[in-house]
Amino acid sequence: MPATQLSDTRRGVERSESARPSSRPFPFFRAGARAEATAGSRPLLVLEDVHKVFRPDRPVLRGANLVVERGEFVFITGPSGSGKSTLLQLIYRRQTPDDGRILFCGRDVARLTETSIPFLRRNLGIVFQDFKVVPHWTVFENVAIALEILAMPRRLVRARVAEALERVGLAGRGGERTGVLSGGEQQRVAVARAIVTEPALILADEPTGNLDPALAVDVLTLFEEIHATGTTVLFATHDHSLIASRDHRVVCLEEGRLVEARRGLRGWHERLRVVGGAA
Amino acid sequence: MKLRAIVARARRGLRGDLRLYLVAVACLTVAFVCLGAALWGLENLAALHDRFAGPRRLTVLLRESPDTTPARELRAALAELVEVRSVRPRTAAELRDAFLADSALGEGLEALPADLFPASLEVTLVPGIDRERIRALAERIGRFPVVEGVETYEGWLGGFDRIVLGGRIVVGGLALLVLLSVLAVVGGTIRLTVAGRRAEIEVMKLCGATDGFVRGPFLVEGAVQGVVAAALATALLAGLYVLGRDALDATVGALTGGRTAFLAPWMLVAMWAGAALAGAVGSAVSLRRYLTV
Repeated sequence: MPATQLSDTRRGVERSESARPSSRPFPFFRAGARAEATAGSRPLLVLEDVHKVFRPDRPVLRGANLVVERGEFVFITGPSGSGKSTLLQLIYRRQTPDDGRILFCGRDVARLTETSIPFLRRNLGIVFQDFKVVPHWTVFENVAIALEILAMPRRLVRARVAEALERVGLAGRGGERTGVLSGGEQQRVAVARAIVTEPALILADEPTGNLDPALAVDVLTLFEEIHATGTTVLFATHDHSLIASRDHRVVCLEEGRLVEARRGLRGWHERLRVVGGAA
Repeated sequence: MKLRAIVARARRGLRGDLRLYLVAVACLTVAFVCLGAALWGLENLAALHDRFAGPRRLTVLLRESPDTTPARELRAALAELVEVRSVRPRTAAELRDAFLADSALGEGLEALPADLFPASLEVTLVPGIDRERIRALAERIGRFPVVEGVETYEGWLGGFDRIVLGGRIVVGGLALLVLLSVLAVVGGTIRLTVAGRRAEIEVMKLCGATDGFVRGPFLVEGAVQGVVAAALATALLAGLYVLGRDALDATVGALTGGRTAFLAPWMLVAMWAGAALAGAVGSAVSLRRYLTV
């Protein structure tokens, strides 16, 4: 897809209809903005020396560095309060870093104006521990809202929502009230909403935190299926058993810095053992 | 498409918070009934004023019958003046008959003397003459020996002017009060709905909704509250007017010599449009303060 010729999000989404699944709505942040021609060859996400301090005596991030390539599945782990959520919030610009750069598709999200932030978020799919679904809306409405924001035609919205619900295992349940669904089903609704726009990057902030272990594995598998179609996934969790059961890249937040462990938690433990032994 | 989507979401919001909106609309309807009633009163008062005030007239009270030579000479002289459009002589008998015909008690008043009212000349002036010139003209006419006095109706019209002006000030103040109440009621309602819909606003923002996308339905909801309240108030007033029109015309109409009228169409449209605008503004002000997600 010739991303440089796209002029607005809606066109981007409509073009992506004809070119799926290899292409995504290109991450330009503002209607009318043009992406650079080289943007497709760059890493999807780059964190450069990112600092974030809420309390001077306890900085959350102290020079965090990370490079996420297109199509990667990355676990972000670390103990509670280590800054996983803050890291994700910096990416979707709920927070602004005190120092450093966060490049998403080559654009520094920290320098986006307030009016540009929505256009950044249209290219992200965000899933939370507490689902953040609207309980009195139907399943369909909860998923369709992401497309309505893109001013997508109604007919297309219906088709895309049906497809997303099928992918998360909720086919034919669009008319049900979301509030009456189980926790696992509500999280699937949230995942459907995150993927329905086919975003460049999915940010999952402890999406299994409120689910029992079996459901947690189900949801993780769902993310992996989404990842298998080419979507980049950043999955924050402190559930080591979940990380240990998979073979994805793992990045750990330790004292405000991101420490790499490339092949699952077992590799990370081995690395820690090596580092500990050397000490 | 975008407007349709905003309206569709506003409809969903109105349905979701129906009870809250009904209470708000009921409060606003009371306010608009007060404003509409005051406007109705003022409109009829102004119509009455216009009926009496224009075209301006003078009544020249004569010492003798208009058929006498001095009175005829005076009539001819008046007809020559540039300020005068027409001069109509009225005998005492004519005036008495007209009074008996106009009055519902005419039969009981037949014993009244024939010279109850003095003979007069009804002078109609050309339009656009100011009060100063009328006063000067009356003073000149008053110098004729045949003239007993000249009635310019100035004192009476001046009082009427003051009443209409006072009415306009009262209605203006009432309109301001209604505007403030619309802003307060709609603002409060929107504040509550924003608090109630915090979760969905957050979801929308996280999905990349612009401020306009989030605010649009709230503005529509505010405007709808205003216009529905104004329409209900209008319907209520119209119903009351239709029910009481005959009785009103029989009493007030008999005193003023005309029939009452309901609010002019332009006034209704202005009230509805103003209500919609005030509702939208109230909503916008509230959103500016409370929409912080």
